[in-house]
Amino acid sequence: MGFMGGQHRMFGQEVSKPQNLGQTLLRFGSYFKPYWTRLLLIVVLVLVSTWMQVVTPDLTGQVFDCYVTPRLMSGASAAASALMGGGENSLTSSNCWYTTAVTAETPAADVVAGMGQLILQIALLYVLSAVLTGLLFYIMRWIGAYALRQMRVDLFGHLHRLSMNYFATHEAGDLMSRITNDASAIEQAFSFALVNVFSSAVLIVWVVYTMLTKSVVYTLVSLLMMPIMVIVTVYFSNQARKAFRRARVEMGSVNADLQEGIAAVREVQAFSREDENIEQFKTSNAANRDANIRAVAFTSALNPLLESLGYVSMALVIGVGGWVLLAGDGTLAGATISLGLIITFLQYVQRINQPVSQISVQWTTIQNAIAGGERIFGILDTVPDMQDKPNAIQLPQIEGLVEFENVSAEYNPGEPVLEGVSLRAEPGQTVAIVGPTGAGKTTIINLIPRFYDVTAGAVKIDGHDVRDVTRRSLRQQIGIVLQDTFLFSTTVMENIRYGDPEATDEQVVAAAKLAYAHDFIERLPDGYQTILGERGAGLSQGQRQLIAIARAALADPRILILDEATSSVDTRTERLIQQALSTLLKGRTSFVIAHRLSTIRNADQVLVIQDGQIVERGTHTSLLAAEGFYHGLYMSQFRRQVDLFGNGNGVKAPEALPAAGGR
Amino acid sequence: MTEQRGRGKRQGGADGGMKELGRAIRYLGRYKGVAGIAYGSMVIGTLSLLAIPQLIQNIIDAITSGYVANQVLALPQLAQGLAATAMGKTLQQIQTDADTALGALFGALAAIVLFSIARALFSFLRGYFSEKLSQNLAYDFRNELYEKIQRLSFSYHDRNQTGQLMIRATDDVEKLRMFVGQGLAMILESLIMLAATLLILALSNWQLTLVVLPTLPVALILFMGFGAISQPLFSELQKRLSALNTVLQENLAGIKLVRAFVREPEEQQRFEGAVDSHLQQALKVAKIFSFLFPVVFLIANLGQAAVLYFGGQQIVYGTLTVGEWQKFSLYLMYVFFPLGMLGMIISLMAQAAASAKRMFDILDAKNEVVNKPGAIEMPSITGRVTFENVDFRYFNSGDPVLSQVSCTAEPGQTIALLGATGSGKTTIINLLPRFYDVTGGRVLIDGHDVRDVTIESLRRQIGLVLQETTLFTGTIRDNIAFGRPDATQEEVEAAAKAAAAHDFIMEFPQGYDTPVGERGSTLSGGQKQRVAIARALLLNPHILILDDSTSSVDVTTEFHIQQALDRLMKDRTSFVIAQRISTVVNADQILVLDRGRIVASGKHEDLLESSEIYAEIYSSQLVEDTVLEADDAAVLAADGEVA
Repeated sequence: MGFMGGQHRMFGQEVSKPQNLGQTLLRFGSYFKPYWTRLLLIVVLVLVSTWMQVVTPDLTGQVFDCYVTPRLMSGASAAASALMGGGENSLTSSNCWYTTAVTAETPAADVVAGMGQLILQIALLYVLSAVLTGLLFYIMRWIGAYALRQMRVDLFGHLHRLSMNYFATHEAGDLMSRITNDASAIEQAFSFALVNVFSSAVLIVWVVYTMLTKSVVYTLVSLLMMPIMVIVTVYFSNQARKAFRRARVEMGSVNADLQEGIAAVREVQAFSREDENIEQFKTSNAANRDANIRAVAFTSALNPLLESLGYVSMALVIGVGGWVLLAGDGTLAGATISLGLIITFLQYVQRINQPVSQISVQWTTIQNAIAGGERIFGILDTVPDMQDKPNAIQLPQIEGLVEFENVSAEYNPGEPVLEGVSLRAEPGQTVAIVGPTGAGKTTIINLIPRFYDVTAGAVKIDGHDVRDVTRRSLRQQIGIVLQDTFLFSTTVMENIRYGDPEATDEQVVAAAKLAYAHDFIERLPDGYQTILGERGAGLSQGQRQLIAIARAALADPRILILDEATSSVDTRTERLIQQALSTLLKGRTSFVIAHRLSTIRNADQVLVIQDGQIVERGTHTSLLAAEGFYHGLYMSQFRRQVDLFGNGNGVKAPEALPAAGGR
Repeated sequence: MTEQRGRGKRQGGADGGMKELGRAIRYLGRYKGVAGIAYGSMVIGTLSLLAIPQLIQNIIDAITSGYVANQVLALPQLAQGLAATAMGKTLQQIQTDADTALGALFGALAAIVLFSIARALFSFLRGYFSEKLSQNLAYDFRNELYEKIQRLSFSYHDRNQTGQLMIRATDDVEKLRMFVGQGLAMILESLIMLAATLLILALSNWQLTLVVLPTLPVALILFMGFGAISQPLFSELQKRLSALNTVLQENLAGIKLVRAFVREPEEQQRFEGAVDSHLQQALKVAKIFSFLFPVVFLIANLGQAAVLYFGGQQIVYGTLTVGEWQKFSLYLMYVFFPLGMLGMIISLMAQAAASAKRMFDILDAKNEVVNKPGAIEMPSITGRVTFENVDFRYFNSGDPVLSQVSCTAEPGQTIALLGATGSGKTTIINLLPRFYDVTGGRVLIDGHDVRDVTIESLRRQIGLVLQETTLFTGTIRDNIAFGRPDATQEEVEAAAKAAAAHDFIMEFPQGYDTPVGERGSTLSGGQKQRVAIARALLLNPHILILDDSTSSVDVTTEFHIQQALDRLMKDRTSFVIAQRISTVVNADQILVLDRGRIVASGKHEDLLESSEIYAEIYSSQLVEDTVLEADDAAVLAADGEVA
C-alpha cells in the first residue's frame, strides 16, 4: 500500500554495492543455519501459498467455464438438442476441467449449488492462504530477528576483544554510525525484503509457468508490459534516490541552522542579528523545500505509471482474448481461448503486476543488507592483535611494584613513541609524569594496564611481565581516572558503582564522600538516583571529575593511573578535586600525568618526558635546582601556580584552608 | 528547574489539538493555486479510475454477447431461431450482437487506455502538487517557528531546551506537513471513492451491494485498529532500539574505561539484555503484523468470493451479466482501498493534532520583552547607567533574584560585579540590554527607561562578551562582523588586531576566510574568546558588558586577552562580572552582591577595609591571580611583543 512517507523512506536510503557477494552470502547463511528446519518450513509455506495464489484465479475461471457459460448457452443448447436430439455438449467451453456435470440442461438450482461448492473451496483456500501467509511472515521475522540478534551479540563481543589500537584508528562515531546503519539495513532485509522478494519471485515464476501451459502466445501477449514496468521502476527509483540524496543534504543544513539559531539565540539577540538570521534560515529552508519537491517529482511519477501500465496489460489481455473469441476461431496458436481463460489471465496479470515492482524496489534493500553485512563481517574478521598468552596466569594480589625495563613502543610501525624507557616505582610511590604534548606521557600509562604492548623491553608488576598474566586479573588491580571523564547515561549511583559492581549503596556513598562528591550529589534533584544525561550532561566538568575519582576510590586498586584534567573548573571545585586526589593517591602506587603543581610537588618521583624518552628524573626540588628542561617547562607552565602556592606573600595557600568539602 | 517546566509542558500537549489542527489547515489558503491543482487532479484522477471497471464491464459484455451470438449463428438455420427465442431475443438482435461486438470491444479498450493515461497523468499531478503543497506548508511552519524562536525573550528560552524546540521544528512540522499537505487530500479522495463506488454498486445491483455492505464496517474497524495498534508498538520498538544503540555507543566512546575496569562481561550482559528486549518487541510487532496483514487481505478476498457466489447465482438466473460481475468485483477493491487509507490516516490525525498544538504553543507564546507602542529610537548613548530600586523575579514568580538594587555608573566607568554563584550578577547585566524586564523599579540609560526605547536601537549600542563564546557557521570574518554585517575588511582587521586575534587568524591558511562553527575548524577557548572581543569591539559600543573569566588558556594567551580586554573597556561604561583581581582592583566601583542585594559597594581599598564579605571573596576567589598580575606582567609583556 503506497502509504504516506513510505516512499521517502524507501528511496531515502543510500545504496551501496556489495563487493564479494558469494562469501558474504555464505556468512549470512551461517547465521541462519541453526534455524534450517524453520527455513525449510518457510520454503514449503512459500510454495504452498504460491500454489494457492495460482490456483484460485484458475478456479475462478472454472466458475465461469463450467457453470456460468453453459447456462448462458442454455437457450441455444436447448434449441440445438431439440433439433438434433442429442445430448451434445459442443457448445460449452472446452476450457472447463473442474466438472463436466453441468450442461445446458442442468437445472439452475443445481448449477448454483455446484458453483457454491466450488466457491466455497475458493473461500477455504483464501482462509488457508491467509493463515499460511501469516505463519510465513512470522517465522521469517522470527528467524531474521534471532539471526540479527546473534550478529549484534557477536559484533559487540568482538569489539571488546579488539585491541585499543583498533579504536585509535577507527573513530567511535564512525564505527557507531556504520554499525547502526548496517544493522538496520540487514534488519530490513531479514524481516521483510528477503521473504517478499523470494515469494514474489516464486509467484511470478509459477504464474508465468501456469500461463504458459495454457497458451504460450496468449501469455507472451499478456506479459508484454512487464519489461517496461521493470525498466520504469528501476529508472525512476534510481533517479529518486539521487534526488533524495540532495534533499538530505539540504535537510542537514536546515537542521544545522535550526540547531545553531536556537542554541545560540541569546547571542543572536544580543547582537540584534535576528533579521539576518531569519533571512538566512529562509534561504536554506527554501533550498530544502525545492530539493524535496524535485525529488518527489520522480516518486510521484512512478506509481501512476505502474498503475497505468497495469491497466494497459489488462486491456491487452482482454483485447487479444476477446478478438480471438469474437473474430477468430476461438483458438490462439492452437490453444483454446475461453471466457473463463480470459478472466483467469486477467487475474494472473493483476496478481503479478505488484510483485514485479516489489522486486525491483526491494532489490536495493537486499543489496544494502549484503553490503552492510560485508562491513560487519569485516569488523568480525579483524584479528585482535593482542591476546592473553595461552599459558597466561592469574596475577596474584599485588604489592604495587612497577618496573619498566628498556621499554620501547610504537603505534604505527617505524614510528617509535617511546624508546628505551626504564623506571621503577616502589609500592605506594607517586610518580608524576610531565612533558610537552605528544612526548609520550599517555603511552607510558597505557602500557601498565596493557592497553598496548611494548615493542621491546618489558613492563613488570611485582616482577610479573604484564604479558604473562591475564589482562583481566591485571586490570582488576589497576584503577584509572581519565582526563575526559566518561559517564554512562544512568544514575550517579551506578556510575560510581562502575568501580566495583559488588559494592553496596553504603560503600558507594562512602567513596563519594571520600572523593568530596557527596555534597553536590546530594544537591542534585534526585540525589544519587539522578539519571545523568548522555555522557554525563547536566554536570559541570569539575563535578564529573569528582565522580570519576569516587569511582576509582570505590575500586580501591593497588595501582592508580591518573590523567589530570586540564580544563578549568571553578576555584572551589578545584580545591575539592585536589583534596580528593591526595586522599586517593595515598598508599597506592600512582602514575599521574600531572598538570597541577601540587601533584608534582607531592610526587616521590618526577619523570620528565621529551620525544619518547625520559630526559630528567628526580623530585620537584632537585629538578628545579638542576635548571634543566624541567626548569624551563616549569617556568612556562607552572609559574602561575607556584606563585599561588608559593613563597609566603601573606596569602593562605589553598591546602591550608579548612576543608570546604565534607560535612 | 527550568527544564522540568519545559517537560511538563510537552506532556500537556498530547491532549486534543483539533482546534490547532484546523488552524494549521487554514494555511492551505496561502497556496490556493497549488492546492487547487492538487485537489482538482485528485478528483479527476479518482473519477477516471472509477470509469475503468465500467469500461471493463462493457468489454466483457461485448465479448460474452458477441460470443454467444456467434455460437448461435453457428447453429443450423432452424435452430438459430429457436435458440434466439429461448434466449428471449430476436434473430435480428443476435445478428447485431455479433456484428457490433468487435467494435464495442475495441472502442472500450481504447477508452480504457485513454482513461488510464488520464488517471496516470492526474495522479502524477496530484502527487507532485500535494508534495509541493506540503513542502510549502513545512517551509512556512518552519520559518514562522524559527522567526518566533529568534525573537522570543530569554525567559522563554530559559524554560525550553534547544532539543525540544528542535523537535518542534523538525518532527512536529513533518507530521503536520504530511497530514495537512497530503493526508487531507487522501481523506477526501477516500471519501469520494467510497461514496461514488457504493453509489455505483447500489445503482447497478443493489442485491449484490447488500452482500458486500456488512464487510465494510468490519474492515474499517480493522484498519483503524491496525493504525492504533501499530503506532505505539513501533514507537516502543524504536525506543528499545535506541536503548540498544546507547549501550553500543557508550561502549565505543568509553571503551578505555570499560577495559580499565574490566567490565567487558557485564557490558556484554547489558548489551545482550538490551538486544533481547529489542528482540522481544520486534517479535511482538511481527506477531501482530503477521496476524493483521493476512486478515486484511482475507476480508477483501472473502468479499470477492461472496460476490462471485451471489453474482454467479444472478448470472445463472439471468439477472446479471458476466461483465457486470467483473465490474462489481473490481469496484469492490475500490471499496477496500479507501477504507484502508481512512483507517491509517485517522490514526495519524491524532498525532498531527498533537503536533499542531505543540507548534502553535510556540507560535502563540507571549514574548515578554517587546517594543512598547510608540517606543523611540535610542539616541547615541553617552553611557550613564542608573538602576533605580530594581526588583527581579524569573517568570514573575518564585524568590526574588534581585531586590532593591540601585546604582549609578557614570560614562566611562568600570563597574565590577562580585558575588557567589546565584547572587544575581548575571541578572544585573541581563537587564541592561533588556534580555529581561525588571519586575519592579527602572533601568535607565542616559535617562531613558530601557523599556521606552526600541530594543534594536538599545542593543546595537551595547557590546557583550560572554564567558562561553559561540561561533556561528561561517568564516572568521563573518563571526567578527556578526553584529555589523556591513563592516569593511579594514574595520574587521582593525578590531581583530585590537583584540590580539589578528596574528593567530593569519596563521590559518585561509586567514579571515577560515570556516568555523559546527562544520568548520575548531578554535581553542582562548582564540574563541578573542574573536568574541573583536566582535564586541567592532560594534564600538558605549556600554560594554563582559564576563572576564577566561577558560583554560596558557599564560601568554591569557595575558593577550587581558590586554585586549583592557583596550576594550577603555572609555566605555563597562559592567564586568569579575574573575580577575586586576579588573576588581582597577574598577571605579565594585558591587558586592549577596542573594540579590547589593551588600557593599565602593572601591577596592575601601571595601577591603569595610566589607567582610568582600574581604572573604577577595581572599578565596581572586587572590590566586594577584601575584601573576603584579609580578609577571612585565616579563609577559615582553614575551607577548616577541610573539
